[in-house]
Amino acid sequence: MNVGLCLSDLQPQTFGDGSNHRTASATHFAGHFRLIDFMLSNMVNSGIYTVAIVLGSQYQTLLSHIGAGREWDLNRSVGGVQYFPQYPGGDRRFNDVRDEPIQRALLYLDEVKAENVLVVDGSSAYNIDFREPLLQHVATGADVTAIYVNKPVLEIDRDFTAYCKIERSGRVSEIQSDPPAGEPVNQCMGAYIVKKTVLIRLLSRERSCDMTKFSCQVLAGTLKSLKVIGWEFSGYFARICSLPTFFHYNMDMLDPQNREPLFDFNSRRIHTRVHDSTPTKYGQDADVQNSIVANGCLIEGKIENCVVFRNVKVHAGAVVRNSVLQRETVIGANAELNWIVTDKQVIVSESRTLLGYKTHPVYIERGKIV
Amino acid sequence: MIMAGYYKECVAMLLAGGSGSRLMPLTEHIAKPAISFGGKYRIIDFTLSNCVHSGIDTVGVLTQYMPMYLHDYIGKGHPWDLDLMNGGVSLLPPYSSGERSDWYSGTANSVYQNRHFIETYKPVYVLVLAGDHVYKMDYSLMLDSHKKRGADCSIAVIDVPKKDASRYGIINTDARDKIVEFEEKPAKPKSSLASMGIYIFNWDSLKEYLELDNRDEQSDKDFGKNVLPAMLAAGLKMFAYRFKGYWKDVGTHESLWEANMDMLVDSTLGMPDWHVLSRSRSRPPHHIGQTGRVKNSLLASDCQISGVVENSILSRGVVVEDAATVRNSIVMSDAVIKRGAVVEYAILDERSVIEAKAVVGQQRESGGKITVVAGSWT
Repeated sequence: MNVGLCLSDLQPQTFGDGSNHRTASATHFAGHFRLIDFMLSNMVNSGIYTVAIVLGSQYQTLLSHIGAGREWDLNRSVGGVQYFPQYPGGDRRFNDVRDEPIQRALLYLDEVKAENVLVVDGSSAYNIDFREPLLQHVATGADVTAIYVNKPVLEIDRDFTAYCKIERSGRVSEIQSDPPAGEPVNQCMGAYIVKKTVLIRLLSRERSCDMTKFSCQVLAGTLKSLKVIGWEFSGYFARICSLPTFFHYNMDMLDPQNREPLFDFNSRRIHTRVHDSTPTKYGQDADVQNSIVANGCLIEGKIENCVVFRNVKVHAGAVVRNSVLQRETVIGANAELNWIVTDKQVIVSESRTLLGYKTHPVYIERGKIV
Repeated sequence: MIMAGYYKECVAMLLAGGSGSRLMPLTEHIAKPAISFGGKYRIIDFTLSNCVHSGIDTVGVLTQYMPMYLHDYIGKGHPWDLDLMNGGVSLLPPYSSGERSDWYSGTANSVYQNRHFIETYKPVYVLVLAGDHVYKMDYSLMLDSHKKRGADCSIAVIDVPKKDASRYGIINTDARDKIVEFEEKPAKPKSSLASMGIYIFNWDSLKEYLELDNRDEQSDKDFGKNVLPAMLAAGLKMFAYRFKGYWKDVGTHESLWEANMDMLVDSTLGMPDWHVLSRSRSRPPHHIGQTGRVKNSLLASDCQISGVVENSILSRGVVVEDAATVRNSIVMSDAVIKRGAVVEYAILDERSVIEAKAVVGQQRESGGKITVVAGSWT
């Protein structure tokens, strides 16, 4: 297996404000990364250097971020990263299904020499070597290997989570959406190893396909006729599809037990586009506890239990607790924040007080001045 | 493959082959220009960034001493946008050829041995730079002044305090900054203009004097000692170009420590829009734990801080364990300071380990020197 297909996102990132700046896979994570970094890194770390990316809506940020794929060694002469965007309405060659991004991606895959294709989406963070499930896939002669994780479903996870039932033989007998909250179930991770010929047949009539549709409709309807086998992943897994999940899983990164296996610096590194920010400067009166802070920040106030992205400024006297500050946020002197998520380039003026709550973090839109 | 016919007005030759013996043990395994600096940089980043921001896109890097890591670091030069088809960065270590194989015997000799590299670009001017200084400078302004004055050679100079002048190569000029005399570390300096080791030559003149110097068996093949005085004696038009701004030669433990500490005061060195470009790997942000305390410090990515850090600069991946203290120190990447250790006024090399409860460094106020701890390179 040397080729991956990245389906377009479930939906643009919506944090409840109606502004969709970026596609979900371009969502920020862990102070420094975007979600797509995990999937691209996992692929190259597993020897996959040909990646077809089907683009959905609001993909500008994603394209700027990945570019030619140099940071992931995906700027290959042979293979590398290939994009499949939507054509504008008037510029269609066939005026039928063949013009759709997914069909053009399949045509491309058809020409790539490969038995199997890794099908993923870009809205999750985990660190995996795909060669392990591939071994099982080849050994069992499966048509499809479904990668899943067994863990309780949080209330906030329920949207967009598909789960499956696995028979004793290892076969997947059922895939469903809307899992019960609280109980451990086999959550589909949105990653499948599929025989290329099977994949092309399954999707040959689709105008579009995101991961929910692929799991719950396309695959779910073929479980009797195809050999679909499960493979259990045991590491850290986070899917981000909403403000509560964005907040929850970013805060998860404060715990080394989650963070360290995810970044696994010694063997499987997660790569991202690097920027020439300076190191972070802590002032004379800085007071920082249990926080992760990216490069280029200036911290002069107090931060506690925070995830702080690049080039953020927290001025003297400000107190920020339990918050996620995305890049270039500025927190004015003596401001006080608790349970807040700021998007990029938010400015909180001097002496403002902003309070959310653990279950309801307050989101401040990109570029707003409070 | 360098394509003929692609000419460059100015080619930079960056001298990065010296042994940096005064910085031992930091230079035991890597060349001085590759030493880590300011939390996320390496010293050579400053010069390479200066070149790119000054519009000079053809840079030969002359390497000799411990070049492996330096070569690896510069690579094809993409962090500096120097991965170009025409020009870009070229690594120029000593080589063997049909008749002879020579190490670089001096700064002038290293450029002489690479005269064919320069010739491929048929430049009008050659900029000679050192790879071991920390500064931000727009070379295009110096080149403008060189052209305007119709000089054969321009030397960048900086005004140093009178009391320090005898540590530098001093340049005496007339009222219009035309150079009249060189003095190498004079006991009684006549001026306070120190040479920064940055020269612009007309390539035709330089070529001629490098040939002459090469034939002179008595010569040390050094720009400062031999080539520049020979040019002056022959009556060439040589001018001093006055530079105002931050500049530091980081050749000793003390000066390396001081220059790092200067970054703590202003990490932009007074020029916030003049970015220092650097090769960096993506690593997660740093984490400051429940017991960590950080004050007046610069921290790079992936550090894990559970102890106290004050007035210090920490590079990538540094671990400061519980109850350990780091003050007034420079800590290079992936060093580990274990439980209860105290580090003061020290430079810890890459991947060095300070054992639990160890005490490293001495108070500077009572006349102590900077303590340097060797790293682990194997």
